[in-house]
Amino acid sequence: MKIVVCVKHVAVLGDEIRFTTDERDVDEDYYDRTLNEWDACAAEEALRIRERLGGEGEVLVVTVGGPSADVALQRCLAMGADRAVRISFDQTVHDPIAIGHALSEAIVPEQPDLVLVGVQSSDSVQGSTGTALAQFLDLPRVAVVKKVEYDHATRRATCHRELEGGLVDVVEVDTPAVLAIQTGINEPRYPTFRAIKDAERKEISLVSAAGGAVSGYHVRRMFVPPKPEGAEMLDGGPADVARRIAEIVKERLA
Amino acid sequence: MSRVVMYVASALSFSIFWLGWGLRLRKYRRGRRTSPGAPPQRPPLAKRLLAVASNATVIRRNRSVGAAHLLVFWGIVGIFLAHIVVAVDLNFYPFFTRLVARAVSVFLVGRLSMVYAVVFNTAGLLIIVGAAYLMVRRACSSGPRLDYSRAQKPPEGYSRAGLIAGDWVFVSLLFANPLIGLFMYGLEIRADGFPPSEKWQWVAWLLAHAVRAVGIGPGKALQIHEIAMWVHIAIGLTFVAYIPFSKAMHIFTSGVDLVVADPGSARRLPPPQPGSEHVGYLTLADLTRKELLGLDACTRCGRCHEVCPARAGGAPLSPRDFVLDLRQWADAVGGSPMLLDRELRPGGSGPAAGRAAREIAGDVIAQETLWACTTCMACVEVCPVGIEHVPTIVQLRRRLVDTGRMEPSLQLALQNVGQLGNSFGKPSRERTRWTKDLGFEIKDARKEPVSHLWFVGDFASFDTQVQALSRTLARILHDAGVDFGLLYHDEWNAGNDVRRVGEESLFEHLVEHNLDAFGRAAFDRIFTTDPHSFNTLRNEYPEHGLDKPVLHYTELLAELLESGAIAVRPLGKRVTYHDPCYLGRYNGVTEAPRRILAAIGCELVEMPRNRENSFCCGAGGGRFSMTDSYTQERPSENRIREAAALDVQTFAVACPKDYVMYSDAVKTTGHSDRLVVSDVVQLLDEARVAG
Repeated sequence: MKIVVCVKHVAVLGDEIRFTTDERDVDEDYYDRTLNEWDACAAEEALRIRERLGGEGEVLVVTVGGPSADVALQRCLAMGADRAVRISFDQTVHDPIAIGHALSEAIVPEQPDLVLVGVQSSDSVQGSTGTALAQFLDLPRVAVVKKVEYDHATRRATCHRELEGGLVDVVEVDTPAVLAIQTGINEPRYPTFRAIKDAERKEISLVSAAGGAVSGYHVRRMFVPPKPEGAEMLDGGPADVARRIAEIVKERLA
Repeated sequence: MSRVVMYVASALSFSIFWLGWGLRLRKYRRGRRTSPGAPPQRPPLAKRLLAVASNATVIRRNRSVGAAHLLVFWGIVGIFLAHIVVAVDLNFYPFFTRLVARAVSVFLVGRLSMVYAVVFNTAGLLIIVGAAYLMVRRACSSGPRLDYSRAQKPPEGYSRAGLIAGDWVFVSLLFANPLIGLFMYGLEIRADGFPPSEKWQWVAWLLAHAVRAVGIGPGKALQIHEIAMWVHIAIGLTFVAYIPFSKAMHIFTSGVDLVVADPGSARRLPPPQPGSEHVGYLTLADLTRKELLGLDACTRCGRCHEVCPARAGGAPLSPRDFVLDLRQWADAVGGSPMLLDRELRPGGSGPAAGRAAREIAGDVIAQETLWACTTCMACVEVCPVGIEHVPTIVQLRRRLVDTGRMEPSLQLALQNVGQLGNSFGKPSRERTRWTKDLGFEIKDARKEPVSHLWFVGDFASFDTQVQALSRTLARILHDAGVDFGLLYHDEWNAGNDVRRVGEESLFEHLVEHNLDAFGRAAFDRIFTTDPHSFNTLRNEYPEHGLDKPVLHYTELLAELLESGAIAVRPLGKRVTYHDPCYLGRYNGVTEAPRRILAAIGCELVEMPRNRENSFCCGAGGGRFSMTDSYTQERPSENRIREAAALDVQTFAVACPKDYVMYSDAVKTTGHSDRLVVSDVVQLLDEARVAG
């Protein structure tokens, strides 16, 4: 049993941001980084699937990024993952398709039984890296999974997907497959700082991605949208409110 | 014949006595020696012994009970010495003189006999009077102290009838046996026809008159004397054997524990047990010998139970129950049983589990109990016998943290601190965002030397309500010409609460980071906004290398006011002041804020609970990052109601967490029209005049 979990070291923005001089990204002085919340849930779910199988198997965490992204991997190692791979990727365009392709290059030789990804990343909120990855791996994909039951004998995963209005969509999928994990599926365990320190001593294998995928995705400009005008609350009885609305309409039309 | 019976009975009684203590000592020896580390912060030995002898800690905060205890205490010392003397005089001395001088004699004659008689009788009377008061009080008390209902209710139910029985057996024996003993002498005096030499047995002498008054003749008196003597001896010897198996053992354990106690152990927590494979407490062997002794020192006087803010708010924690549970479990595992003083549970859970408990945290002591503690230290401060609850609770929390057993909200806060250096989950560069609209730049202590380094702390940096207070303080200091600076984004959470939550490795990481930042700055003194940061910087960082004085901002402001650097006019407000736990109780800084209030012409009306007896707001020890477990009123609301009973308009605070907690509690208790929560710095600012 081998489970690969794809994780991202996401940016945490504060209330104040500044953009790079080319206005196409946030100035890195203006954010810190952390493990993506959805990916923490995916890592936790992988560990739990393995625990349910009696602890047999391997949980491998993979990320794409520079050396600073090791922190996200170390967090997962501290939670209990066995091995970590960082894919160095020097392409300037970081869109879901390019990232999905880079991930697939490192994942293919691993021949996993399951690939878990987060539904989305909290910083860029594309929600499509997993889909792209499934395409490159040529594997089935289940989106927005809130519950997983994996049967190792039949190599099938039963996934519950939460739909609008509390409906549950139960999907059975043959594995290997890519599952996009939704938050709320579990409460990720707390890796103590001591465990993180221990994880820092573990080796992280480095893989270079060839970077074959061309997506045609370009960031034009990033900016803070101008604030819309505030709403005006109307008090009083129905007649007063109606009169005031009529006045406003007349004012605006004038 | 009677002598033989007495010798055999005595031998049996003392054997059981020593066996009991042997078992207890064996249990203590299973604990570990206290961690190496900073030496304990104890008063001089003479002072500690004096505290034991004077019962000062028992009398404090409970004068009548303390006074009664003092009578019993010295009564027992007197009775004990008297019995030793009489035993030697009647048994050993004659034997010795027969060997040496070939003549049987006793030494208790003449003047010595008179002194002995007076001491003996007085001591007996002291015990009788003291114990009588304690019994009446126990029977009539209605407060929480002697109410044995548990704070944490086990689903299967429990019975504490054994504890009540143990209390009554102990105090009744204390009352009855000296009375029987004196009565016995009185009967003898009556039987002997009031020999004048016996009048120094003054209580017995009076009793003899009483005996005669009720019409008991000399012959009858002799008969009753015989019975009374055997009853007295039987009770006495049974009591001796009973001591190490009951709360009576506190006669020995409490005094010793008070002498070896380290009152500073909560303000400067001990590190996790060294050389252990696990972090935090898991088994009996993890507890220190001092901790095990402390458990045996508890008399369940209930003072900690009464002052605990968690207990008062209906949270599942009582420091008293914590100690009693831990003791019962330690007794079961360590093999030093109690005869009566035990709690029974139908399913044998919690303390009743004994060896069946896998570990302390979660099995013996419920998780929610450990998490309910605000680490306010009121229990440690009030404990008359030197039990240190807070460090033990933190050791058990360390185990919970190490095994990931905590609330998601707390986990998130810790993750934020670990990854971003603050509990608010904000990028660290936003730490000084509050300084933007000041109109002047605060110096960067990393770039230029300053005389004062301001360690602002997370709340005063990130919380929007408290940021305004930080700006006010910055303006006051700027106008007063104070040379101060910040570490900017190199300041991280100081780790006081992180440590008290039990995340020791993260605390060490924070200390390392902050010390590195201090090392890259030049300054003479540090001052903090937050009393929590103040505590750890002042008491825990020095072990790791910080060698600069640490002040609280109220201390700095009091200095500035008194040197005339800040010009003020009298405000004329009636205010009450809330002592933050980590400022007042932990560090004894109670007067600086009051000096400020006096200097700005505020009339201070004290709440009944003030200074070291202040009442926690409920946010300490990581509680701020957890959901409330109070079933009754929150501690902050309890405190606001206390203040609302006074005729004041202003509730002054000197702690960012207090400001947030009480601003909220004023609203939730419906007092916002009558009571305004103001930080001392706001009041000072209001009083400022152009200088």
